[in-house]
Order: sequence, then structure tokens, then C-alpha cells
Amino acid sequence: MMPELLDVRNLSVRFPVGRKGTGWGQTSYLTAVDDISFTVRKGETLAIVGESGSGKTTAALAIAQLVAGETSGEVVLDGQDIMPAGRDQLRAMRRKVQVIFQDPYSSLNPRKRAEEIVREPLDNLTNKPAREKREIVDRLFQAVGLRPEQKRLFPHQFSGGQRQRIGIARALSTQPEVIICDEPVSALDVAVQAQILNLLRRLQSEFGLTYIFISHDLGVVQHMCDSVAVMYMGKIVEHADRLALFNNPQHPYTAALLSAVPSIDPTLRDHSKRILIPGDPPDPLNLPAGCRFVSRCPVAQLHCRELVPELTGNGTEHLTACHLVDADLVSPMQAVREAE
Amino acid sequence: MEPLLKVENLRIELKTRAGVAPVIDDLSFELGQGESISFVGESGCGKSMTALAIMGLLPEGIGRVASGRILFGGEDLTAASDRRLRDIRGNEISMIFQEPMTSLNPVYTVGEQIAEVLRAHQGLGQRAAWTMAAELLDAVRIPNPGRRIDDYPFQMSGGQRQRVMIAIALACKPKILIADEPTTALDVTVQAQIFDLLRDLRAQTGTSIIMITHDMGAVAEMAERMIVMYAGRKVEEGPVADVIAHARHPYTHGLISCVPHIVANLTEEREELTEVPGIVPGLGEFGQDMCLFSARCPRVTEKCRSARPPEAMLGGSQVSACWHAEEV
Repeated sequence: MMPELLDVRNLSVRFPVGRKGTGWGQTSYLTAVDDISFTVRKGETLAIVGESGSGKTTAALAIAQLVAGETSGEVVLDGQDIMPAGRDQLRAMRRKVQVIFQDPYSSLNPRKRAEEIVREPLDNLTNKPAREKREIVDRLFQAVGLRPEQKRLFPHQFSGGQRQRIGIARALSTQPEVIICDEPVSALDVAVQAQILNLLRRLQSEFGLTYIFISHDLGVVQHMCDSVAVMYMGKIVEHADRLALFNNPQHPYTAALLSAVPSIDPTLRDHSKRILIPGDPPDPLNLPAGCRFVSRCPVAQLHCRELVPELTGNGTEHLTACHLVDADLVSPMQAVREAE
Repeated sequence: MEPLLKVENLRIELKTRAGVAPVIDDLSFELGQGESISFVGESGCGKSMTALAIMGLLPEGIGRVASGRILFGGEDLTAASDRRLRDIRGNEISMIFQEPMTSLNPVYTVGEQIAEVLRAHQGLGQRAAWTMAAELLDAVRIPNPGRRIDDYPFQMSGGQRQRVMIAIALACKPKILIADEPTTALDVTVQAQIFDLLRDLRAQTGTSIIMITHDMGAVAEMAERMIVMYAGRKVEEGPVADVIAHARHPYTHGLISCVPHIVANLTEEREELTEVPGIVPGLGEFGQDMCLFSARCPRVTEKCRSARPPEAMLGGSQVSACWHAEEV
């Protein structure tokens, strides 16, 4: 088994918000990511999934120091804490952590040529001579499947999929250790998605890349990940490797999320009973006291309203934050079926 | 029995800078009473244009119906007056859009927006319309409708806004509901709620549904029959289960196998996704006498580049427009 490359400990991100009811001079906070910890092994993909507003993007961007809110906790990359970064440290950190963004239309500078966009991280973060940079850009264009003559074109002359390829080449340019893929295919057409997903996997095996893959599309996650963290309202509710999570989800939220995905597989449609979770996620400024999922949980018990469940695995690698699993009373899924 | 909606050889032309392009090229299909069909394809294939044409909402001055007929209960909508169309829209055929955020008016409460439809089409008075609006909110399962009726759209979540849109669309018990990517902007759990709601409402009211989507999973859940569009043409049509089990057009096959579908029993095995190389052609290339998919097709032959394939019936219920349909 590969060693752990990235170790995130007690990461929290909160944003100050103006809000009615607070006194003059007081600030209230929206805690988007609340005390989460996880590890990623070298060469593997960790997927972070959840509904919009669950904090998955904020958590990942906080690792790259790209959020405006107040961040606390430790991010250890290869044994080194990269959080308290000064200017120089930040430059070094940016070389090691790069991001592929969701929208290939707004994440490329429209006034720069493709080669300049790909070269920009090299210009800003390294002191390589011009010739070496040119060679790197040439190699990257080839690696992501763009033709050399396309180097001189501007972003508007590319299709969405090609633009995402430019974004990927840019992220690869400094040979980063971790790449954060923030919904890299959700803005693309279905047929183009497959091209980009295959490319990302090919590059991963070629260069030994480590991905943090954020997506709300569970089909894509199932295809791409090695392990999955499921987030709900700023907390990780379940964290397990790919097979364990998809074949044997423990947390009721994970199970509901999986059962909500429309499927073309008729046996899957017939066998898995859809678990409808009613309503919307709670107001992030006014979270329930106990388990955050309690207002939508089909198997909630009385003590779920009062006690915050810990993320534990009872000695296994399959971590779940649910009282029912914790107390080993009953599998939540069993309980759902019995309730019906 | 005469179908509820019958589209015959519809051709829609759009004026572009490069000239006139047929965004819909010789499209025919039928929709029965209470039936649910789905249009599938990538963006730019003419799915939404078909919907807009049925609604009589083609972009004015740019798009027009060049030939063909849209028969709704025997009446040709392409020849109907604006006044008659306004009467039909919202009353007998209504539509919900992809973005519930932008399709509601931000400066009116949701109650006013639902009541407006009822006043305009059903001639209800102020108070009756308001009471009815509250009932509709309840029908689309918005909790506490009596209070939420005074909410403005920004006070609601994305899923609730889409429910309001559905309430508006169903206010006059239309015969046809057109849903243009109704859940693309929503989370899966909310999408499941909306699909559930649409299915229940359809069972109660007998409304026919035309759903436009690019998600095969959604089609499998919601529709009985599907029509696959590519570059303004129908490339395949058939019962959903049959098409998914055995697609008879390479494009349909590509659309199904290029998406990583969630499976029941996951194993270590992970195959590469099938790629459909390239992208949908631009409007300028529409309408040529050839198979427009030939540039991306793995089975392309000389014949595909020289003549448009006719629609051929296969196995009794599936239609495919491919020269090699028999072999696919």
C-alpha cells in the first residue's frame, strides 16, 4: 500500500457574515467546513461528494489556500505542514498543489494565448530558463491531446472540452504532487466528459498523480475514485474506499444519495428501493444541535438530536459518523427497510 | 386513435450570419394521450428548438417553421394566430425550464405568479385564484403553503423554485407538459423528489410529458419512449428499455456507453469509457445530404458521406437513421 501523501487534520473554514440580530460590532460566522480530517495516499484519487452547499469545494480549495474565509487546522503534505504559509512558502506550496476548475469558459484568461496560459504557472512559480519552459509546454500539449499549432490560439477558438484540456495542461505544468479537480467535467457535454475523464485517468497512471476529485455526479465518482468522503453540511459523514462505500454504504445519507441516482440498469432500479429524504438541507447559520442530518434522516432516534456523532470506524477503515452504526445497534439501511 | 400531438416533417430554419441553417431537419413524431416521451442528445442538437416550436416560441425574426405541420388535437399550430397560441400556451401546453432561478420573476411573490396564470387563462377572480394557488403549492409538496405563498423566489431553494414552476405549469391542467432539462441545475436528492412529483402528477392528471435531457438515467426513470436527436435530425426512436438494451444507431450507443453509470455490484474492474470523438458540428454544417454523425462514427463508410440515411424500422418498434443499422 502506498504511503499517505496528504494528511488533513481538523480543517475548518468559516466565513464572517452580516446578520440580523447580532449586536453592533459583532460578527457571526458561517462554518462551511467544520473540523474535518482525512488522508490521501500517493497516486490515488480521493473523491469528495455531497450536495451543493455541503462544503466539498470549500474544503478542497482550503487545502490550496484559495478561500477567502478564516481557515484553521493542519494540511500536511509529504510530512510538511503547508498551512502557515508566508509569501515564499506559498509559492512553494502552489508548485505542489494545483487546481483544475469547473468552468473552462471562465477559468482561462480570454486575452492570453493557449501557450501563455499553460506557461503562466512556470513563469510565476519557477525560475526555469525560457527554453526549458518551452519544452515543457510542448510536452504538455502533446500529453493532453492538443496539436502543436493550437498553441497560438486564444481560448475562444477552442471548444469546451479542448479548453478543459488547456486547464489540465496548466495544472500539470509545475509537476504538482496533488491536483484538486473541482467538478472538472460537469460543465461539459456527456460525450466530451468521457474524453476528459479518460484523459485524467491516463495522466494519473502516466505521471503518478494524486487527485482530490470533487463531484456531485456519483456515476463519475464511482468510475474515478479510489476512496470517497461524503460530506453533509460541512462534516464528513462517511469515508471509505471505493468498493466498501458503493457496495455497502453505512450512513443513511450516503445510502439515500446513492439510491437517488437515476439508473439505466433495470435490475438496480428494481432491487434498490429508493430512499427519499424529504426537504432541503438545514440553514447553515442555524444548524441542528446533534447530528446535522437529523431533520431528513429516515431512521433518526431521539438521541440523534442531542449528540453529535463522531466519525469512527470501530477499528476498520470504513469510517462513519452515525449513532446507529456507532452503537452497533442496527445497520441504518436495515432500519430503513424495516421501517417501510 | 388520433394521437394528441403529431409533428409531421417539421423543418425549422434559423438565420445565422453565414446564411440560413435548418436546426430541425425533417422531424416527425407522435405523442399519445398520457404518454411520456424523452428527447435525448448533446447540446446544439435541436432538442430545445423542437420544444420552442411546439410552444410557438421560436426566437422572433431569427427562427421560423419552414415546412411541416405540428398538429395538436387536429389543429395545425404552425398556422395558428398569435392570439390562439397565447390561448394554448400555459392552458393546454405548458413548459418548465432548466433554470428555476431565472425563469421566475424576482420582484413578484410566488403566489402572485401562480395566481396570474389562473386569472389570465381560467378567468378566476383575485381571491379564487389565490386560494387555488395555495392548493397548487400544496399539490407540489411545498411545506406550509399558506405562508410560503407570500415568499419571493429568492427566499426559496432551487428545488422549491422548480416546484413553483411546476405548479405554474400545471395550474390549468394542461394536456402536455414540456420539461426542458428540469433537474439539471438540481442536486440528485432533489432531482429524485422532482421526478417523483412529476410521476405522481402525471398519474393523477393524465398529462402527457415531453422531457428534454441528456441524462440516460433520467430517461430510463421517466419516459416510455425516447427520441435521440443529432444535429437537428432524429437518429433513433423507440421504447426506452429496448433502446437502452440494444441501441440501433452508433450515436445512441455512444451516448449510453460514454457515461459511467452507477452499477449494482461494483468490482475492482474499471474499463476505459468509450469515447465519442469530436464534437457536435456547427449550425453551418447542418442540412447536408449525408450522415452528419459520420465524422465521429466508428462505422463510417463511403456511403455515409454521400447520402443522408433514411429512417428504417427495425424489430417492429425501433427506428434508426443509419446505413448500418442492421449491423449495430
